[in-house]
Amino acid sequence: DDEVHVRQKVAVVDPVEVADFDRELRALMQESLDSRKLEMRNRPTINMMLPMNLFEGPTKEHHGRGIEGESGDETTDEGTGEAKEVRVKVLVKRGNKQQTKQMYIPHDCSLVQGTKQKEAAELEE
Amino acid sequence: EETGDDEVFDYGKGDFAEHACKYCGITNPACVARCNVPSCRKWFCNSRGNTSGSHIVNHLVRAKHKEVCLHKDSPLGETILECYNCGCRNVFLLGFISAKTESVVVLLCREPCLGSNALKDMNWDLSQWCPLIDDRCFLQWLLKVPSEQEQLRARQISAQQINKIEELWKANPDASLEDLEKPGVDEEPQPVVLKYEDAYQYQNVFAPLIKLEADYDKMMKESQSKDNITVRWDIGLNKKRIAYFVFPKEDNELRLVPGDELRLRYPGDASHPSWQSVGHVIKLTSQEEVALELRVSQGVSVDVNHGFSVDFVWKSTSFDRMQGAMKTFALDETSVSGYIYHHLLGHEVDMQIVRNTLPRRFGAPGLPELNASQVFAVKSVLQKPISLIQGPPGTGKTVTSAAIVYHMAKQGQGQVLVCAPSNVAVDQLAEKISATGLKVVRICAKSREAVSSPVEHLTLHYQVRHLDTSEKSELHKLQQLKDEQGELSSSDEKKYKALKRATEREISQSADVICCTCVGAGDPRLANFRFRQVLIDESTQATEPECLIPLVLGVKQVVLVGDHCQLGPVIMCKKAARAGLAQSLFERLVLLGVKPIRLQVQYRMHPALSEFPSNSFYEGTLQNGVTINERQSPGIDFPWPVPNRPMFFYVQMGQEEISSSGTSYLNRTEAANVEKIVTTFLKSGVVPSQIGVITPYEGQRAYIVNYMSRNGALRQQLYKEIEVASVDSFQGREKDYIILSCVRSNEHQGIGFLNDPRRLNVALTRARYGIVILGNPKEHECLVEGPLNNLKQSMVQFQKPKKIYN
Ligand SMILES: [Zn+2]
Ligand SMILES: [Zn+2]
Ligand SMILES: [Zn+2]
Repeated sequence: DDEVHVRQKVAVVDPVEVADFDRELRALMQESLDSRKLEMRNRPTINMMLPMNLFEGPTKEHHGRGIEGESGDETTDEGTGEAKEVRVKVLVKRGNKQQTKQMYIPHDCSLVQGTKQKEAAELEE
Repeated sequence: EETGDDEVFDYGKGDFAEHACKYCGITNPACVARCNVPSCRKWFCNSRGNTSGSHIVNHLVRAKHKEVCLHKDSPLGETILECYNCGCRNVFLLGFISAKTESVVVLLCREPCLGSNALKDMNWDLSQWCPLIDDRCFLQWLLKVPSEQEQLRARQISAQQINKIEELWKANPDASLEDLEKPGVDEEPQPVVLKYEDAYQYQNVFAPLIKLEADYDKMMKESQSKDNITVRWDIGLNKKRIAYFVFPKEDNELRLVPGDELRLRYPGDASHPSWQSVGHVIKLTSQEEVALELRVSQGVSVDVNHGFSVDFVWKSTSFDRMQGAMKTFALDETSVSGYIYHHLLGHEVDMQIVRNTLPRRFGAPGLPELNASQVFAVKSVLQKPISLIQGPPGTGKTVTSAAIVYHMAKQGQGQVLVCAPSNVAVDQLAEKISATGLKVVRICAKSREAVSSPVEHLTLHYQVRHLDTSEKSELHKLQQLKDEQGELSSSDEKKYKALKRATEREISQSADVICCTCVGAGDPRLANFRFRQVLIDESTQATEPECLIPLVLGVKQVVLVGDHCQLGPVIMCKKAARAGLAQSLFERLVLLGVKPIRLQVQYRMHPALSEFPSNSFYEGTLQNGVTINERQSPGIDFPWPVPNRPMFFYVQMGQEEISSSGTSYLNRTEAANVEKIVTTFLKSGVVPSQIGVITPYEGQRAYIVNYMSRNGALRQQLYKEIEVASVDSFQGREKDYIILSCVRSNEHQGIGFLNDPRRLNVALTRARYGIVILGNPKEHECLVEGPLNNLKQSMVQFQKPKKIYN
């Protein structure tokens, strides 16, 4: 109940600072890439099979949070300008064990384009 | 020896999250990540603040750190971000890919895993690799960006500050942002400003000023040791030993007040061992004697009276509480509402209206009927989250405050907290509020429990002792035992303390209103209390950090009562005063454009006395609630030069001189004339308690007291009963007749101490029936001279004081 409207001055970002920061960021990226290329002469073995237990239970329900929407509905809510979200499973390794965690990512994220295409195909069936 | 809870209480140290962004303080677990470099392990948020990159990215880039771990309460739980395939933890190389057919994503490094041919044949879609850091910010769906609200309330750190602190961390990983701001030893402190970026900047400005004042106070008080003190012994009602002695004052503004701690020492002699004990001042007698209640009476030889020494025992409590309040203000976002937070810092905030049903009548039971400006004040205050009430002298601000508190308490938003910087003001308010029928608990400092109070029945310690229910009988038994024996066995003492604490809590929780001083609001006994509604009286006499103490207990609605045209807080350290510590929060809010609601009808002064202050300080808006008739004292025959104008300026040509102590001024001629005027009043039928003599210097005060009792034409006792004190100690009070002895005046400064318009205002508004001013105002006309039985010409016409407020 503590809503407050602060009239804020627009934060002025110093262009010199931006340029300096970008330079350092790029340098760090490049250095990271270069060091990996040197380190990893040999390609690592790929161990990225999707674990079978992932497919148990409901996997592909789309979830429009805040709005009761049809799955695959891509419109955004004009009122809030908020894009709807898609629920995904994030696969992580804890030691050698695989684990999945749920997360919501925006509908328009390039990551979920693939899944959406697949879904569209399913709908056509 | 009994120690208060205070000494073990850590002020301003709540459960402040360890995972707060080291730059801006944001603590939302979904928004922060930990730098995973073992020597660093600092937390940062994903907001950009005032920089191009988000805080976490800023840190990683500037520190050249590359690993990150998410918070345990974030959606992914405590997770070190790493490549699913090879375990690479360099966040600058990581990105997400998704499975071709399932809603599954993994983190994969760009080099070498993403380029691996083997992957292409698998179920992964490599065409869309989504880097973890995009546009200088972590992916917002992985690490949330704090809300605008959260960002506004956070510390507003600049890119320069970030670069500086990152440099500092390389040498000292535990350095804090405050370390960047610390002034050097000889540097002038940063002055106060009107607006603050955030509560951290606020703290950076005020914390050093409070420290300066504390150091000065400590140095001054600890240098007050006095030897060769003669003691008179007595025993109090609580069977504690009381020592009476005269503690010579000097003109350094140090005033002993009840509650102060002193150490009494005896060096020992042939027949008495050396001895010492600490005690609290419980009163100051009119004979200028100090009554000290000793904590421990064992070992004291009451047959010895001479050769004692007294030291001041300095306590940092009040300063610690101010520092704690500022810390809480910055770190605990529930300390004050968002609206109040931004408002206090001078940010522009959209007006907010408190939606409360207004009462039909604005007065309160047990209080006098309110006048129009008082009703207006009560009504507007109830509808606003922050309001200022300006109460010029005698305009009934205590009654108005009590009415406001009454209506707030009736709104059912929980207990109301009522504070003022001085104990006297708190007592007055507590009494008035209690008269409305509300349940009031007055919390006194432990050191003041033995100090008598006009509202003793409302005090927490009294109620604890007198709450007569059967469950409490155990406590009563122990209390009795303690009173009789002086101390309890350690197990009984433990039991006693626990029972007492529980009873205190029970009584405090059942009150409608809690009253205490501003510093008292930081009492550990209130640590777990929350107050949405707070009223601070005399707020113009408190420093800002002092005012903050009662506010950071969860305030949503605050009323500051005071008068910025009267004297402000007393700051002893010149350096701190120069930097602006003497400016009250009320004043700063006025300068920020908050318009105080002014009470306009004064009930104290004869209309002729209110005219000059009204015109000079209140734009002529003061109206008189008393008539000339009500301020004429029948039977008093005093030679006022103009009938119906009970005031005059009595010209003194006597020379000022430096008093014997060398630090103070005195004017013998003027003192002699004070005696003459006092005698004339007494002869005309005025009684001593009606008269007050105001003088700015301790030297003159001591001289007048002494002179009157030696040379007074009437009985000595009459003169002893007349109060002679400084303007400051008369603030907030009144006398029927006031004699003002100005002492100094020189060509350049006019009338010395009255040059401060606020002091002049206070001095001129203490009298109800009449005022006489003695001084040497070279530049003024229309003054009176001559013997008292043949005064010529009258009318005070001071120069208009320089206006310092709009
Ligand atoms: Zn780090
Ligand atoms: Zn941050
Ligand atoms: Zn990898």
